[in-house]
Amino acid sequence: MTTPWARLFGDKANHKSDDISTIDLLSRVPLFEVLNRRELAAVERILHRRQYQRGEVIFRQGERGMGMYIVQQGTVAITAEPENHELFELQDGDFFGEVALLDESPRSATAVAKTDCSVFGFFQPDLFGLIARDSRLGVKIVLRVSRFVSQRLRQANERALALSAELDALKQAVAREER
Amino acid sequence: MLAGQTRHKIHLFALFAAVFALLVILYVGRVAEIMIVAALLAYILDPVVTLFEQRGLSRAAATTLIMLLITLVVVVFWYTVIPIAIVQFKALQAGAGTTPASQALARLESQIRGFTESFGLGAVNLTEELGKLKLALVHRIPNFIIHDSPTLLIGLVMTPFVMFFLLKDARSFKKYFISLVPNRYFEFTLDLLYKMEIQLGNYLRGQFIDAVVFGLLATAVLWALDVPYFVFIGLFSGIANLIPFVGPLAGASAALVVVVLEQGDIVRGAYVALAFVVLKLVDDFVIQPLAVGKHVDLHPMVVALAILVGGHLFGVLGMLLVVPFLGFLKVVLEESIDTYRRYRFD
Repeated sequence: MTTPWARLFGDKANHKSDDISTIDLLSRVPLFEVLNRRELAAVERILHRRQYQRGEVIFRQGERGMGMYIVQQGTVAITAEPENHELFELQDGDFFGEVALLDESPRSATAVAKTDCSVFGFFQPDLFGLIARDSRLGVKIVLRVSRFVSQRLRQANERALALSAELDALKQAVAREER
Repeated sequence: MLAGQTRHKIHLFALFAAVFALLVILYVGRVAEIMIVAALLAYILDPVVTLFEQRGLSRAAATTLIMLLITLVVVVFWYTVIPIAIVQFKALQAGAGTTPASQALARLESQIRGFTESFGLGAVNLTEELGKLKLALVHRIPNFIIHDSPTLLIGLVMTPFVMFFLLKDARSFKKYFISLVPNRYFEFTLDLLYKMEIQLGNYLRGQFIDAVVFGLLATAVLWALDVPYFVFIGLFSGIANLIPFVGPLAGASAALVVVVLEQGDIVRGAYVALAFVVLKLVDDFVIQPLAVGKHVDLHPMVVALAILVGGHLFGVLGMLLVVPFLGFLKVVLEESIDTYRRYRFD
């Protein structure tokens, strides 16, 4: 039983069981794997838990993004408009939309709940608040996000180069056929 | 799909109904005033609590520390400044017309009487009327304290209590409120709340700093001009400065009443008036831009009407809060339109 004193002063040691499982989930997310338990608890306090039904849109391509999402339970599909071509499928512990943590550019794809799912939202205003309260932790998170964004950018560049090389090869093959 | 849309509408309706019910409850009695004052104080003190959190304290510990510091300041203020203000107020209350004041008034009265009688407007007993006005003004404050003391006491106890929990748990309250918003409007609401917090918080904190600085400057200037009851009038001027148009005039009028009616010193009265004009210019061109920064851009006519309405509905508290409230509404409207454009609501 939580004592009135503990309730009054919000005893941080008395985490509920779902908070502990959330911290365990966060510790497995690559973005937060360098954080210790105290830091993970600080991040957990500013997450927003949202429930989405199958087929429900989490965010749409082109609209302004406020932050990223972490899949707690369920499956999320990342699609590209206008054909709604599925680019990725994300499972428990995966994260998406992290670029919106760094800037307010429009979303580059649409995220749809492929099954009933539960996600955690981690948003820019809360990150700014965290930086104000604990700048070391805030900068640590921003650096990790930047690292993952740059990794994905590098992967996208490599893929674009590979596709470009394939396209060149195809063009040469077509040219030879025509001759 | 239809079920999803219906569910969204139900969620929205429930949310608005809850907010409306809360507003109705808050409107009942003095609860609204206590909540509003506590919320404003919490807004002003939030950056200070965050500063202590940066030093490694938990939110609860930082909030407790701030409340203890405020209590210490209030106690010091109570035992140092308040006795001086009370002594000066009692002197003001008990002071009958002094000989220099009576002579100055008599000269002014005879000039006005000559003017009005030449136009057949009848005699004017200026001394009697101004004496009644002065007595009415100085008795309003103790009457307010005596008749409203139970409510005042409740306010003095409840306001810090509410303020403590608003400071400590504001983030939890906000998180809970956001959790009630349907998914489709969730990010939009988060964005809107964040922008409103920045706008409103900066404005309120700036106004608070402005009132403190203006009050200190007014006290110093009145002391330099050897105006009686300078502490009381300086404090009053600082608080009154929060009310646009009316406030600065009220502060200057209080000082002029004392100097001209109590001491009959018209020349010093002119110096006091000039000093308040200079203080107002310093406030408008130096203190306000530094403390408040970007103003809430409202037409003066809108501000004047709002002060009248606020005063009529909620008295002095209404006059003090109506401009930040209007600014808040303006920000809500502008940010809502701007943010709505950036989101695609289907």
